[in-house]
Amino acid sequence: MTAVQGVDLDVAEGEFVSLLGPSGCGKTTTLRCVAGLEEPSGGRILFGERDVTRLPSEHRMIGMVFQSYALFPHMTVRENIGFGLEMRGVRGGDADKRIAQVLDTVQLNGLEERYPRALSGGQQQRVALARAVVAEPQLLLLDEPLANLDAKLRDEMRFFIRSLQQRLGITTLYVTHDQSESMIMSDRIVVMFGGRIHQIGDPEDIYNRPASAEVANFIGQANMLKGKVVEARDGVATIEAAWGRFTCGTSRPVAAGSVVTAMVRPEALRLANGADRSDFTGRIVARHFLGNVFDYRIALADGTVISVQAMGGNAPPAEGQVSVKIDQEKAWLLQ
Amino acid sequence: MRLRLWSFALPALLIVVLFLIVPYLNIVLMSFRNPSPTAIYAPGFTIQNYVRVLTDSLYLGLLKDTLLYALATTSICLAVGFPVAFHLARTDSRWRGLLYAGVLSPLLTGVVIRCFGWIVLLANNGLINQLLGLAGLGPYRLMYNPIGVTIALVHVFLPFMILPIMNAIQSVDPRLGEAARTLGASGPRAFVRVLLPLSMPGIQSGVILVFVLSASAYIIPMLLGGGQVSTMPTVVVQQLMGGLLWPFGATLALVLSLSVLVLVALFGVLNRRVMRGVA
Repeated sequence: MTAVQGVDLDVAEGEFVSLLGPSGCGKTTTLRCVAGLEEPSGGRILFGERDVTRLPSEHRMIGMVFQSYALFPHMTVRENIGFGLEMRGVRGGDADKRIAQVLDTVQLNGLEERYPRALSGGQQQRVALARAVVAEPQLLLLDEPLANLDAKLRDEMRFFIRSLQQRLGITTLYVTHDQSESMIMSDRIVVMFGGRIHQIGDPEDIYNRPASAEVANFIGQANMLKGKVVEARDGVATIEAAWGRFTCGTSRPVAAGSVVTAMVRPEALRLANGADRSDFTGRIVARHFLGNVFDYRIALADGTVISVQAMGGNAPPAEGQVSVKIDQEKAWLLQ
Repeated sequence: MRLRLWSFALPALLIVVLFLIVPYLNIVLMSFRNPSPTAIYAPGFTIQNYVRVLTDSLYLGLLKDTLLYALATTSICLAVGFPVAFHLARTDSRWRGLLYAGVLSPLLTGVVIRCFGWIVLLANNGLINQLLGLAGLGPYRLMYNPIGVTIALVHVFLPFMILPIMNAIQSVDPRLGEAARTLGASGPRAFVRVLLPLSMPGIQSGVILVFVLSASAYIIPMLLGGGQVSTMPTVVVQQLMGGLLWPFGATLALVLSLSVLVLVALFGVLNRRVMRGVA
């Protein structure tokens, strides 16, 4: 069985790249191939110029953090962290110094002699991180490291891991199914579905200019607007839909007259009372107060219901007809 | 409340006391009695039985042989059983159930039947020697000697080694071995530093079980030894049944029990360092 196919990815030195996708999309398999824990049936894996495809894990100079942390239960925190150093021949005072340093970095001083089971989830997580980076690997691999933490700790650890990574300047591959996690932490995101890469790009690219409807839906909410291309040039397409006409960005040439789908985020739509120079009008079906914004469901002329998130502002409309305006630079033509 | 919970254990306690502790105390008592040519024992108490066992090189040699059989059986069972246990614990093959049944199979028939099975295989004109004969080899003497006894002991007690080790390995997260590999440990090193210590609780149970069982085995050395192999249990039975020397038989039995107990305790102490942090 093939879990992953046609994964072609180039990670720059010092870069933080997330593999993002739903469970079973092959992101973990990809990571395990890079780690040398699984052997790909085809293709090559290069670290710099060096082909490591058939190189056993222990010679790859990597550090890996597992979802379950995989701390050695029969070793203390110090022994866990020192394990990688010992395996790589760093012993004695030098090893002690580096262990002390990394304990400092992950703020675990004083817990050296504890066994993993006597630590909280967050502390175990930091031991796992310390263990992975102490030998200064050329590549850090993280497999859903935050999945077992509670929400508050998870937020903290996102920033912690990111700043640690930047401080060490270590090239990092991060597997997650949490889109906000990947957005916050990554230089670039690789979105995977069904064993294939759908898009590679920086967080803004992925969010504002998704390659496919799957990507658009997986990364946050998206309204899908169907219509016919009226004209397209200079990366801007004008689309004629049943309820009106709008423009959106595009990176591909489209022929006038072809039927396409465009994506627009709920917060890229603006509402106004009455009909000013707006693109089209709709009727409010429902309105929910989310705290920072109102979430509207708005039915368009042809029955399409779209989601709009709008700031309160002065006298936010509660019902009836509203006019809707699309931020042209935030609407995007899908493949 | 505590008293009431206690009371549930009373029937079991009664059985243990009645059928285990009382007979054991009786054996202890018997071992200090005077022998008698006409009765089970003569009046009065003595330590002469112990002096005889512990000074006579015949019995000390016998004790040594018995413990060596147990040690050999335990070592072979561990060496053979660990890979099997590891495979059973980690495989997702659809033959797993069959393999498991295969491991348990020695327990499915009585020990006497199994011994006769080995006699059929190991005899001078048995299956194995016939096959070797076809290749122009042998015949080799495979039974009525220590080889035959050890083979049968290993066969019969192997499940007691495999099952606890399998359980221990099953409770070890496979990710731990992988983590060790990513940290620079070679396969063998990851095994020695991670899997082996973590499967120690199972190894300890298996080693103790097999050691104790094979040191006290009677039927196997009797049938496959064919009178040529003596161990403490066979001699104890000789004393009781043949010589009617109950006090001396009791002493021999106790000396064996205590020796085994001491060795097991020693093993436990040695293991404590390895077991630190485990379980």
